Amino acid sequence: MTERVLRVEDLSCGFETEDGYVRVVDGISFGVAAGETLGLVGESGCGKTVSALAVMGLLPKPAGVLESGKILFNGEDLAAVDRSAMRRVRGREIGMIFQEPMTALNPVHRIGKQIFEALTLYESGLAQGELNRRAVELLDQVGIPSPERRLREYPHQLSGGMRQRIMIAMAVAGRPRLLIADEPTTALDVTVQAQILDLLRALQRDYGMAMIFITHDLGVVAEICDHVIVMYAGRVAEQAGVRTLFRTPRHPYTHGLIRSIPTVETPSKSMLPVIEGVVPKLTEMPPGCRFSNRCRFADELCVAETPARCTIAPGHEVACHHWETVVP
Amino acid sequence: MRKVGNVHAVDDVSFTVGEGETLGLVGESGCGKSTVGLTLLNLIPATSGHVFFEGQDLSTLGRGEWRALRREIQIIFQDPMESLNSRHTIGTILEEPFIIHKLGTPEERATWIGDLLVRVGLPRDAVSRFPHEFSGGQRQRIGIARAIALKPKLIVCDEAVSALDVSVRAQIINLLLELQREMKLALLFIAHDLSVVRHVSDDVAVMYLGKIVEQARATDIYERPAHPYTRALLSAIPIPDPDHQRQRIVLEGDVPSPITPPPGCRFHTRCPHTIDVCKSDPPRWEPVDDEQYVACHRWRELA
Repeated sequence: MTERVLRVEDLSCGFETEDGYVRVVDGISFGVAAGETLGLVGESGCGKTVSALAVMGLLPKPAGVLESGKILFNGEDLAAVDRSAMRRVRGREIGMIFQEPMTALNPVHRIGKQIFEALTLYESGLAQGELNRRAVELLDQVGIPSPERRLREYPHQLSGGMRQRIMIAMAVAGRPRLLIADEPTTALDVTVQAQILDLLRALQRDYGMAMIFITHDLGVVAEICDHVIVMYAGRVAEQAGVRTLFRTPRHPYTHGLIRSIPTVETPSKSMLPVIEGVVPKLTEMPPGCRFSNRCRFADELCVAETPARCTIAPGHEVACHHWETVVP
Repeated sequence: MRKVGNVHAVDDVSFTVGEGETLGLVGESGCGKSTVGLTLLNLIPATSGHVFFEGQDLSTLGRGEWRALRREIQIIFQDPMESLNSRHTIGTILEEPFIIHKLGTPEERATWIGDLLVRVGLPRDAVSRFPHEFSGGQRQRIGIARAIALKPKLIVCDEAVSALDVSVRAQIINLLLELQREMKLALLFIAHDLSVVRHVSDDVAVMYLGKIVEQARATDIYERPAHPYTRALLSAIPIPDPDHQRQRIVLEGDVPSPITPPPGCRFHTRCPHTIDVCKSDPPRWEPVDDEQYVACHRWRELA
């Protein structure tokens, strides 16, 4: 078993609201090894982004609360370190890229200045000439044409795909051991998305990074992920290797999700198999399985008792009372 | 204000949509597909060309006639939150079309609204609630209810499912298909998700930088694309199957600006098969067969 770069254990986090504390992530566990890509998949409100923010120590203050659990990275429990220690880790050891590049790019500074800033974080005392050389190298590595010219430009002069590449460049400048990518291609055209996915794969290969890829797009998951965690309403429904997940999913939610996507084989204009209903509001969750109100196979046990995590094969875990019988 | 240029958002686009049929319109950012949809409703005025609806040239209509026409052509938008007035109850939102067109007594309208809600899968008590109380998928159902209220003939679906969660997308797609069958609706389905478009469309038109570059029956577009851009687009779609072998065609660079589109074939700056004539002469619209058309100088040799 390859060494795990990150191991999250029983992580719970949430937010203080006017109506009291609301738990958004409820006891999730996962890990990712060097050179591997873990997909964190789920729909709105499932807690995937909040989980990533917790790992990065970026839960919005003061409302965000890391309630319990361990975040083991490089022999340290990030859940227990102080803010300055976390700042050292973040950026240098763990990089993060987001859906919207402008969250990372300052619109009033030239690209060059921003790249230099990122480089200086990892190595102080570099002369300007050396900084320039490294910045050009970095931009070249992420596939930006005419990198010297780009250094003098402002973010608004670049296309969405270019800005995304710059954000990636800044995130990997310090050669982090782990890269967290939160929906990095969701806002991009499909041809640009393909380019960015290729780039991420190449960088991962070259740097040996572990990567956590957060998305709701199962097509992207199939392309880029080695292992996948499917989250639903703050909990893990299923975890498996990517092939296993698509070939033999065991959780009714995973199965329903995959089936509802039209493929070449789906007869044109036919009714798609659907998962009925909607995710319950956080304040209206059933006491047991959170998927029970939408699940075709749910019974009283499901509504009343939270299903335990079952390991049904090495690397394949599912949280469902009836996993043995429900999915064909 | 100084005019700095014209954006040729949509340039010489022609297509037809029949009763009970769906035309899918696909393309990436800046291709003009949303502009086409908005132009059909005169939400963006056309600078030239004609839209014929049931044989009638819409450019000849006066304001009063346009208002009557709005009963026949409706639109559903991408963002269910932005297209619903957050200060109005669902009842008010759904009553508006009837009031504008002076239809029914208050009692009749109340009945119609109740029936609409049931038809789109919402509870009747939604009438007294506000948009923010509903999920994205439910708000989209409200948008659909509003669009079908006056029993239109054509509905423009502008990225109608793009902003929805995957598990809800299928529900809304099914609802649209059911309504299409029941009401014999013509649908113009504008989207960038090619898998969804293939599923809901009878025919598909591919747009690039304001032009339609290829049009064909949905199955043919995906199985035998004739245009290099269509091929590149299809090769880029991520397929939810880890064992799927893809032959990716990588397009260099970004889409050029629609203010100064490239001369000749607009795709020539990124096309892997560009030759001299592509840079100077716009390609003609040519039939591949009865139902497939393409605008490319080299389509025969590339087939």
